[in-house]
Amino acid sequence: MLIIKKYIPLAIVTIVGLLTLATYYVPAKASSAYLSTLNQWEVIVSGFAFLLGLISLLMTHYKKIAKRVDGWGYSLFVFIGFFAVVIPGIISHGAQAKDGVLTSLGWAFRYLYNPLAATMFAVLAFYIVSTAFRSFRIKSVQAFVLFIAAFILILGNVPAGQMLWDAMLGWTGICGIGDIIQWIMQVPSVAAKRGIMIGITIGAAVTSLKIIFGIERQYMGRD
Amino acid sequence: MKKTELLLVFFSFLFLWPGLSFALNGKSNIALPLIEDAIAEDMPYDSGGDILLRWPADEDDEGVVYEIYAKTESSENEWKLADSFKAFEKTADKMRMPFWAWSHGSDEYAVKIPIKSVDGDADIGTVLCFKIKAFRDGKPIAESAILCASSDDNWFNLPRLNGLLMVILITAAFFMTMSRAKKKGLFIRRIAGLDAIDEAIGRATEMGKPIYYSTGINGMSSVNTIASLSILGEVSKKVAEYDSIIKVPHYDPIVMSVAKETVKQSYIEAGRPDSYHDDANFFLSSDQFSYAASLDGMIEREKPAACFFMGYFLAESLLLTEVGASAGAIQIAATDSESQLPFFFTSCDYTLIGEELYAAGAYLSKEPMLLSVLKLQDFGKLFMMLSVLIGGIAIALAAVFHCDGFVKGLLDFFTNY
Repeated sequence: MLIIKKYIPLAIVTIVGLLTLATYYVPAKASSAYLSTLNQWEVIVSGFAFLLGLISLLMTHYKKIAKRVDGWGYSLFVFIGFFAVVIPGIISHGAQAKDGVLTSLGWAFRYLYNPLAATMFAVLAFYIVSTAFRSFRIKSVQAFVLFIAAFILILGNVPAGQMLWDAMLGWTGICGIGDIIQWIMQVPSVAAKRGIMIGITIGAAVTSLKIIFGIERQYMGRD
Repeated sequence: MKKTELLLVFFSFLFLWPGLSFALNGKSNIALPLIEDAIAEDMPYDSGGDILLRWPADEDDEGVVYEIYAKTESSENEWKLADSFKAFEKTADKMRMPFWAWSHGSDEYAVKIPIKSVDGDADIGTVLCFKIKAFRDGKPIAESAILCASSDDNWFNLPRLNGLLMVILITAAFFMTMSRAKKKGLFIRRIAGLDAIDEAIGRATEMGKPIYYSTGINGMSSVNTIASLSILGEVSKKVAEYDSIIKVPHYDPIVMSVAKETVKQSYIEAGRPDSYHDDANFFLSSDQFSYAASLDGMIEREKPAACFFMGYFLAESLLLTEVGASAGAIQIAATDSESQLPFFFTSCDYTLIGEELYAAGAYLSKEPMLLSVLKLQDFGKLFMMLSVLIGGIAIALAAVFHCDGFVKGLLDFFTNY
């Protein structure tokens, strides 16, 4: 049993991991054929897994309705939405438009789904404002530096800020606010980003080795 | 007619023919000077998609335009313009190759022609023919002989040798640090965000409210999702010990299947298999904003005591954490998506930066084998810091003393080909 649960999956992970790593250094056609086969398998597995996801979604909301838990009415909308899209989808064979005319599935996407997704994305603007307000409270030296940098960036990106800068400091002729913004974005910001990215790359490489050599196997249940 | 007159007519015709021919056809059939030593060969170290043409560059080439014509060997006479460039634009030293794989310099031209650009149906082994023509002021001044070659796929990408050596070095260091871990203990610095996990779970237990854990919006093939599942395993073990409630909404059904096993295993290891509920993991949506809207709704209604956002996130990061913050939850985030870090910093109580996401699972598990790998991450960072410092100084000095070859060699070693 241990062989089936532990050793065979670990052997598969190690062999597939090393072969996939090797494809980066082997440009031969066999290498790209191997990668393409793996991608096809992933698509097939994803297809089956999506069915699992769908069953999980419907079962979760069915239980909520059956037990009349708080907010069970929202779960009804899951079923209504599901059938309202799936049935037209089957009728129109998955096509969103036919001869330039929207099918009912296309109508649902254009006039229901797209506005709702856009609304969610638009909400982000208000959240950014509230987050900015919270982060601009100066509690430490670091917060003060953050505030100054952010203030200059905001100032420099609005016409009023540029006019203000020119009126107050333009006579010095040292540099415009655009130059300062450019320096902040290209020097300290890029330096910090690169530091983080180097750390991420090393972390990802080491984690990959842990997975390939079977040191990290939390994702398959321990033993 | 006399014999001498006949000879006179014949020689007159012989001398007048080229001019007459030019007047009739509008172009000259006079053989152009030959571009010598031109060769066509398989492009080395590639997957067989290109042919390489090389020929010597001359100092007098200034103002010359080269045109390369190509056709398949089997086609009759359908020459097709494959490339055109000014003299010295495509010399061999401009080919993106490191010094250990490419020794050709600026004294010759090197042009890579994709075989598909010559014939869409061409494949490895298809023989293609090329003709190089040189023009000055729009007039042809030289041309090469017809050069034929076929491409082949190669078994080793030599320009990537530096990467392979680095992988071998990291792997050797990986096994060395693991063997040392068995011998003696390792000091690991504290990570505040991970120490706060106990506090967050304790708070949830006292308040009798659930804990939400999001694994992000990447699939199971991403390393960050696997790292997130390692943390989920440790978090759910603590949740089981405290007898609290964990809810793991998913974006990807495959991740959900794996996370189910992970959480179940953690409950078993904590000695609380009876407390495990199969619906702790559930699927929401594979659409970014539908996922965010759905999870936001749950957080808003249930007011969880703690929210964990561990994995890869995009624009939904702030949508989720702002709602969590307004619900009064302790929020701990970890991501390697550097564009989302500022949002997590400002809206979460604790944020694990970049590589801490990968270190978290090992830190929480306290297993010597996994902890030893954290040392390797630190060695890696030290190596990078020293490389940047020493490399920067070396390149600056080499530039001052005009050691161009040394600078190129050093940069080649740290370039990804």
